[in-house]
Amino acid sequence: MIVQTQYITFDRQLRLQSGATLRPITLAYETYGTLNEDRSNAILVCHALSGDAHVAGQHSPDDRKPGWWDEAVGPGKAFDTDRYFVICSNVIGGCSGSTGPSSINPETGKPYGLAFPVVTVADMVEVQGWLVEALGIPSLLSVTGGSMGGMQAVQWTVSFPERVRSAIVLASTARTSAQSIALNEVPRQAIYADPNWNQGDYYGTEPPNAGLAVARMIGHITYLSETSMREKFGRRLQERERYGYDFATDFQVESYLKYHGNRFTARFDANSFLYITKAIDYFDLSLGRADLAEAFTGVQAKFLVLSYSSDWLFPPEQSEELVRALLRNGIDATYLEIQSDYGHDAFLLEVERLGELARDFLARVERENTHHASATGGSAPDKEREERASPLASWKARWRAALSLAESRRQETA
Amino acid sequence: MSLSRPDLEVIVRMVPEGARVLDLGCGDGALLAELVARRGALGRGVEVDEANVRACVAKGLPVRHGNIEEGLADFPDGMFDLVVLSQTLAYLNRPLPVLQEMVRVGRSAIISFENAGHWKARWRAMVGDGGGTTLASGQPRVRSITLPQFREALQQLGLRVEESVLLCGRRRVASWPSLRSEVAVVRVTRV
Repeated sequence: MIVQTQYITFDRQLRLQSGATLRPITLAYETYGTLNEDRSNAILVCHALSGDAHVAGQHSPDDRKPGWWDEAVGPGKAFDTDRYFVICSNVIGGCSGSTGPSSINPETGKPYGLAFPVVTVADMVEVQGWLVEALGIPSLLSVTGGSMGGMQAVQWTVSFPERVRSAIVLASTARTSAQSIALNEVPRQAIYADPNWNQGDYYGTEPPNAGLAVARMIGHITYLSETSMREKFGRRLQERERYGYDFATDFQVESYLKYHGNRFTARFDANSFLYITKAIDYFDLSLGRADLAEAFTGVQAKFLVLSYSSDWLFPPEQSEELVRALLRNGIDATYLEIQSDYGHDAFLLEVERLGELARDFLARVERENTHHASATGGSAPDKEREERASPLASWKARWRAALSLAESRRQETA
Repeated sequence: MSLSRPDLEVIVRMVPEGARVLDLGCGDGALLAELVARRGALGRGVEVDEANVRACVAKGLPVRHGNIEEGLADFPDGMFDLVVLSQTLAYLNRPLPVLQEMVRVGRSAIISFENAGHWKARWRAMVGDGGGTTLASGQPRVRSITLPQFREALQQLGLRVEESVLLCGRRRVASWPSLRSEVAVVRVTRV
């Protein structure tokens, strides 16, 4: 599957969650498959911290590696591009074609560096909303992603309740935990400590690669589990028979971390790493609300939430917290903790079970296509037909009525 | 289409048209799928086994993976018309809090369980085979529940029986139920 990255520039001001503004904004994005006639088969895939718009396929036949989630996106795969129109865009703040700290600041004619405003997951999603609109899609069949991609998927349902029919949320959370913030702060400190970082002003000079490599190494540790590390490396030595009693590389695990740390510096911008981890830290859907459940009032999407048993970066308890908030709102939510030894990486690797679940779940969302009819303003007879086809339409109304009744009773007793 | 287990057939008949039903320990979703198809119910489930949850998703049922002794806290009061616990009560570590939760999230609860007071069970115990499953069978621990025991638990929790069906095979038992019924299906609600 050969794909090309496309670019769209919005000469339009984005008011960020922080209150700052950003303009103009370019998004790099790729699409796969074909949008159907009634534009109802679009799925937005959101990438995690280090991802980009290139989710699947190759840019040219000579490409050594396909996109970052090629196992899950493509013909006949979990997100079947023979059936669905798949979109993936690079987040703002990123460094793979979308506007970020390495982009040119129109006011100075030089790269932004730290003059780039701090963005949040909600800001990223806002601009994705512009892209989906520009592509002429009134409502997404689904939005999906793992880790920070899952945060965007959840944010979508809250930011645009009328424009998304389902969310498939993998290894994620509705609010970033203290442990996750800590595991973002230490990598940031590694970048700050690199003298080449120079307060973010290093474009055109030697970048802070040493700091960024250490940051990536810490990331890689958090993506694995104790079991997967033991099985992958154990105490095996790297290219030597016995301990060296020196500070060269002894163990395979050291070699692995160094390799991935260094390789990362070739494709990623240290400032983008700072901005994106900050966006993750700020993610908290309960912010400014009485509790997390309140964030999902009026959310209409159906949810498939998956966690992975050995994931200690976004452990199952965090997905369960999200699911509780959804169920308290009567939202149609399916939750599953998948047994896996791959740690946080499991969301990228356990594609077989994901494929099965996603296919079944999406088939149901398509069947119970009531939301789409209302989102596109379907005519009255259309809606009637829709209701006959899916008794769940009237169900939903009754369900919500019961909920509000339960709520008012609670308030009465309180 | 009919369900293989006679108690499930009784449960389907107990569920009114269009009810909101939560099935605890819903397994592969066979009962829920039946309730959706035959009763137009809005079905939700809680299930502890991953493969079973996947089977439910394949049937188009929204299910929360989890332990029913913890997972009910996710549901608000009075969210369901009925909460079903079919042949699972005997396997719970702490069954009473689960029964209490069932009538919190549902207006009524339907519970089915094997009657450990059935004459065959009594005979087995008398000839020295004990109650419940044998050690050698390797089966998980099962509580032996008799009809009087169940009534006592309901009384303690302040629950009232709305309807009860006692079965021997697929037939209803009228006389000597404590000895003759193999399975009890009981719908209860708060007094």
